[in-house]
Amino acid sequence: MTLRIALKHRFEGFSLDLAFEAPAGVTALFGRSGSGKTTVINAVAGLFRPDEGRIAADGVVLLDTGAGRCLPPHRRRIGYVFQDARLFPHLTVRQNLLFGRWFAPAGPDVGPGVGLERIVALLGIAPLLDRRPATLSGGERQRVAIGRAILSNPRLLLMDEPLAALDEARKGEILPYLERLRDELGLPILYVSHSVAEVARLATTVVLMEAGRVTAIGPASTILSDPAIAPVMGLREAGAMISARVVAQEADGLTRLDTGAGPVWLPRIEAAEGATVRLRILAQDVMLATRRPEGISALNILSVTVRDIHLGEGPGALVRLSAGEATILARVTRRSVDALDLRAGRPVFAVLKAVSVARENVGRAGP
Amino acid sequence: MRRPLTAILTVAALLVPPLPALAEEVVVFAAASMKTALDAVAADFQSATGHTVTISYAGSNALAKQIIEGAPTDIFLSAAVNWMDEVEKAGLVTEGTRADLFGNTLVLVAHGTDAAPVEIGPGLDLAGLLGDGKLAMAMVDAVPAGQYGKAALESLGLWPSVEASVAQSENVRAALMLVSTGEAPYGIVYATDAVADDAVTVVGTFPDDSHKPIVYPGALLTGAADAADRAFFEALSSDAGDAKFAAQGFAILN
Amino acid sequence: MTDWLTPDEWRAVALSLRVSFWATLVSLPFGLLVAYALARWNFWGKPLLNGVVHLPLILPPVVTGYLLLIIFGRRGAVGQVLDEWFGVVLAFRWTGAALAAGIMAFPLMVRAMRLAIEAVDPRLEQAAGTLGASRPWVFATVTLPLILPGVIAGAILAFAKAMGEFGATITFVSNIPGQTQTLPSAIYAFLQVPGGEPQAARLVAIAIAIAMAALLLSEWVARAVARRISGQ
Repeated sequence: MTLRIALKHRFEGFSLDLAFEAPAGVTALFGRSGSGKTTVINAVAGLFRPDEGRIAADGVVLLDTGAGRCLPPHRRRIGYVFQDARLFPHLTVRQNLLFGRWFAPAGPDVGPGVGLERIVALLGIAPLLDRRPATLSGGERQRVAIGRAILSNPRLLLMDEPLAALDEARKGEILPYLERLRDELGLPILYVSHSVAEVARLATTVVLMEAGRVTAIGPASTILSDPAIAPVMGLREAGAMISARVVAQEADGLTRLDTGAGPVWLPRIEAAEGATVRLRILAQDVMLATRRPEGISALNILSVTVRDIHLGEGPGALVRLSAGEATILARVTRRSVDALDLRAGRPVFAVLKAVSVARENVGRAGP
Repeated sequence: MRRPLTAILTVAALLVPPLPALAEEVVVFAAASMKTALDAVAADFQSATGHTVTISYAGSNALAKQIIEGAPTDIFLSAAVNWMDEVEKAGLVTEGTRADLFGNTLVLVAHGTDAAPVEIGPGLDLAGLLGDGKLAMAMVDAVPAGQYGKAALESLGLWPSVEASVAQSENVRAALMLVSTGEAPYGIVYATDAVADDAVTVVGTFPDDSHKPIVYPGALLTGAADAADRAFFEALSSDAGDAKFAAQGFAILN
Repeated sequence: MTDWLTPDEWRAVALSLRVSFWATLVSLPFGLLVAYALARWNFWGKPLLNGVVHLPLILPPVVTGYLLLIIFGRRGAVGQVLDEWFGVVLAFRWTGAALAAGIMAFPLMVRAMRLAIEAVDPRLEQAAGTLGASRPWVFATVTLPLILPGVIAGAILAFAKAMGEFGATITFVSNIPGQTQTLPSAIYAFLQVPGGEPQAARLVAIAIAIAMAALLLSEWVARAVARRISGQ
């Protein structure tokens, strides 16, 4: 499944001009508010008609202004999870979930395992089935909205900042469900967000947008750990995404992981031994040392090599480090860069406090 | 700034009732069917005397009820005897002034300008003329023109054969309109109404003895205080006044 | 009970109910369509349509009746076609009374429905579209259930207005006992005769009772439906 998108549209004081291709998995459209992310997915859904454009999903042309083709939204078979759940207030949760079923093409097209029971179980909404949307919490509503979109048997799922309206606790409640969707249904998802944490946990591919243009596109791990892109995300959010394998759950509540650059201990991660997880390690949490530190409380000391150094406009610098196959970012001051004589190719030690990796920055690895 | 202010003041001035003129005002409540003739008489009276005549036209019943409820009126000209009776019963008529001023006749009108005349009598095949069309009349139990018409048809023995075909209108003018537009082929209206409409032809006149006389009683009311009121009331019965009414088809009874 | 009103008066009451019922029922789909168009569509001539719909509210009823006579009368442009092609005659029939009542009540019906439609979040309709529902289905499964209280309110308002309609009705279809003599026509006739007030008062009492019953019913139904819809 690939989604090819090419769009051109002039707004007052803003223009959209982009083309990209989204492979299977979760493709995150990432950018600041007003960069045109929602406009892009509205065009995919058929809720917005651009001046010029062509959108094709798996060879099915949804829009081709050149050929005068524009499928109406209801014939595109594209599930849409809105930021505000938009549940139908007059229907029960069950009726909301089954709404798309009335219209979805029956027969072989209905993918295996996307029955009501499976989705209800996957999203943990079984106790809600007979309730009305008005009585649900924000997180519950959003899970029902996700289920409703999936059960309409779409070829593609669009999510427009589905967590933006929720508080941190609710986000934490929903993120695992989204990971399960990604991993268990194999449904391609185009995911709009301006939260690095969400993108780092969910995305397979990241499309970076600025002012109506695509400025970068690539695998999530590459894009997120690219220091050149860090200013777009905000330096405090800069960090690298690495995969790690759960080696052992240890008796004192720590989990031992293998990152490929050495062992890492983190507070207990709920995953079976042997499972692979995604870690987001924020650049500001990583310290550098030229010699292996001793007598230090930090548990994780990785042996790495400096790949390059990006000096910012201020007193800071982002150091990109190679840790085996993985890449880690460290945010340090220029003064430290000079004092430690950091330069490309120099082997150093990266120090990471176990407790600095927040629970929300640990997620299931994608397929 | 000055222009809008001027405009506002002008509009405001228009909304304020005019100062009482030196001339007196005569307030007349008159049956709607008298409008054409009465307006002409009033215009002559105003230019001759400088007094103002204000006339409110409506159905006699509505006018009578308003007068009984205390509307400040100087002269009442009714199209029906019974409503003048009501006003008189309420003690609002100046003694000795009530008089039957004008009379009217009832005619059968047909749509168009070339309808054939008919002989109105017991032998008239009115039902046959109508076919499946309607006979337009004013409300036969409520409005005077309808009541007279029904009485006339009854006395001629025609009522049972046409009763089911009668379309009753709110007033006699509305009945005339039905014929005028061709919606109803025939109608029964006052001679005075038929005069005003070119789209209908008078095909016959009902005999005077087929219904009670149609009279328009008029009276000075007890509220009439000044000489102008009496002068206008008398002008109605003058030769000049009579001529105006006669021109509209009224019979002169005074 | 039966000698409380004369047979003619009973017929006037029954006729009024019939006229109002059909006037309401037949204008319902048109009212919905116009209300939806005014609430949701942008098209050339929208202010014009809005104006035309409201005309019966502005014009003296007699004028509306006269226009109906000219258009739908036996010799009217539309009336002739209806008569020749479909054998439908409106003039001097109870169907004409229903047409007049329906036209006079139309603006009230449309206003109530339009407000209800404007209160529906179009984003819900958008969501239904992405779930595969075509526009007619979106209307039937989302919009209509959500505006139902407004539709009911509009219909009852129209029914009440139709019950009381007089001016346009008598001008268009006259007053024929048993055919076009509605309750208001009968009341009007009594008021024209000296001493007719007591008889009129009995009919007025009936009219008030029917109108109050209709309004109470609509309040009750609308509240019940609103409760069902909000799910609370």
